[in-house]
Amino acid sequence: MENSSCLAGRQWISSQEDFSTNEVLTKISAIQQSHCMRCGARVYAKLPNGKFYCRDCIELGRIVEGDLLVRNLELAEFSRMKNGGLTWHGSLTKRQSAVSCELVKNFNQRADTLVHAVTGAGKTEMLFAAIAECIAQGKRSCIATPRIDVVNELYPRFKAAFNTIKIGKYHGKEHHEPRLDQLTICTTHQLMKFYHAFDLLVIDEVDSFPYVENTQLHFAAKNAVKEDGVRIYLTATPTNDLLEKVKEKQLKILRLNRRFHGGLLPVPRALFFYRPFLLKQKINPRLLKEINAVIKSGHQLLLFVPRIEQIPIYVSALKNDAQFSSVIVEGVHAMDKNRLAKVENFRQGKSQLLVTTTILERGVTFKHVWVIVVQADDEIYTSASLVQIAGRVGRAKDDPDGLVLFCYRKYTQNIRNALKQIREMNK
Amino acid sequence: MKKCLLCGQDFIPATSFLRIFSFKKFHEQCLCQHCLAKFAPISREHCEICYGKAAANERCLDCLEWQKIYGHNLLRNHAIYRYNDAFHEIMVNYKRYGDYVLREVLQELCFEQLKKIKVDFYVPIPTSLEHIAKRQFDTVAAIYSQLVPLSFFLAKKEGQGAQGERTRSERLESKQSFLVKEGIKADVNKHSVLLLDDIYTTGRTLYYARDALQTAFPQAKISSFTICR
Repeated sequence: MENSSCLAGRQWISSQEDFSTNEVLTKISAIQQSHCMRCGARVYAKLPNGKFYCRDCIELGRIVEGDLLVRNLELAEFSRMKNGGLTWHGSLTKRQSAVSCELVKNFNQRADTLVHAVTGAGKTEMLFAAIAECIAQGKRSCIATPRIDVVNELYPRFKAAFNTIKIGKYHGKEHHEPRLDQLTICTTHQLMKFYHAFDLLVIDEVDSFPYVENTQLHFAAKNAVKEDGVRIYLTATPTNDLLEKVKEKQLKILRLNRRFHGGLLPVPRALFFYRPFLLKQKINPRLLKEINAVIKSGHQLLLFVPRIEQIPIYVSALKNDAQFSSVIVEGVHAMDKNRLAKVENFRQGKSQLLVTTTILERGVTFKHVWVIVVQADDEIYTSASLVQIAGRVGRAKDDPDGLVLFCYRKYTQNIRNALKQIREMNK
Repeated sequence: MKKCLLCGQDFIPATSFLRIFSFKKFHEQCLCQHCLAKFAPISREHCEICYGKAAANERCLDCLEWQKIYGHNLLRNHAIYRYNDAFHEIMVNYKRYGDYVLREVLQELCFEQLKKIKVDFYVPIPTSLEHIAKRQFDTVAAIYSQLVPLSFFLAKKEGQGAQGERTRSERLESKQSFLVKEGIKADVNKHSVLLLDDIYTTGRTLYYARDALQTAFPQAKISSFTICR
């Protein structure tokens, strides 16, 4: 490998025939004790020649039994920068700056931290100081998050805040390999391309990782940081495994239970329904009454339904209803080609009612929106996603409260936990 | 409880009394109903020749083009699903990344329909040796070899590249890349042959395969089967 220094902190696969030697490169068997050394998954699938291969990280190139994982342990060197290249001049609230200072302190003490901050607390701004500290020391940092959307949203914000630093942005739809950047923003998936690379690794929206891949995330996060590197987890709804680590004192916890405008989180109202929400393409009249009440109050409404197939049914039922004749209704889902345009229309107030699925549960801000969750008892809504959905409401300074309605026919543990978490954060 | 091969989540395979009490071996379900629902079965309205997009009893645009070249000698193709995002994704994982296990999903998608077609010889479209070496398996034969007895009559000339990486017009302009193997002992003439492939896109591949076979066995009755159209 020529010019390996741009691959500092990287790992890649190589077939067994590779006998090249280089002192900064270490080679290990890519599959050991039926586990993949890149993603940590158990390896169970076999090729016709009887060799095992890993399915869980196959998009990064198939790892087959006998392949080698090459790791570049070279240390990347960066010039130290005064004040860490931070060009952001905004101000933090008192609570935010307290968390921000703690993060810098924990970074210097090499302690991992879990930041449990409510939705709309201004998490990104609280990170700036710690990242700047890392850069000021000539060290390397990374912000990773499970969703491509969130990477795309974070990148311009960090670019504006650190406008002299070259920032690398990587995810599956960017189609190029990571380079040597002092600050990297990428999907958690991309972390598997790194080994002992970062001094500081921030994982944003940890809870939005599908539970199936949770072990993969922790495995990759552990490998990607240096042995004395520091991890920061950001979430509004910490998962049990993280809270467990807090209990075992492996993680420090910082709580921020007020939004940046100082208001409380709106507490959802849970409403029991006896009849089905949809019957013969018609919406339950009680639900219609609730929807109408929101529209009459002059607020925009996000209507969450559990399945994509239900969106057109709700949209046409609402459009055909005389009492909504003057209301502009739209439906949006993950595969929708006009997704961005529809969301933008809604943001600008061009449509009043948006029927959607969990794709809009996080990372989006609409100023005066209220929310109704239909079938909140559906298994697709975990307590984390219910908390996130409730967090869409009351995000404006001049309108810090609003209605969140969970409509259910069976009161589930997830609804109970979501309500409990929100009330606890409000204490 | 089984794990779905596509989404990795646990699901309970559908069962019936027949399955429980029968000694017959049933195909084991390997994908959950949510993932299965993402595939779009071809509706009753389809091209009468190749299952392409057309009104009932009419011909699709591809077949009209083939008619100009082949006249009445068109290749009848049977397909089950329409090409959509879900199918695209599974083919990317199966062929580009080489996720061999996904053959089971593809088998599940087609075995019931394939069983209904009775012919004398099932001939898979060959993959280039170069691709087999890279993936460590033959993508088409891996799907069908566990469903029907295969006859490997065709071979692929080397150095032709893959159809999947070409644009539509490049595909149509590609040259004949199949040849019939020498020394076939079976009496193929006057018998029925079913060509097997994964996807029918323009039909170029299948027509060349048919042409090669027809030249060698002029009296064979040749049709084709693909999972997707």
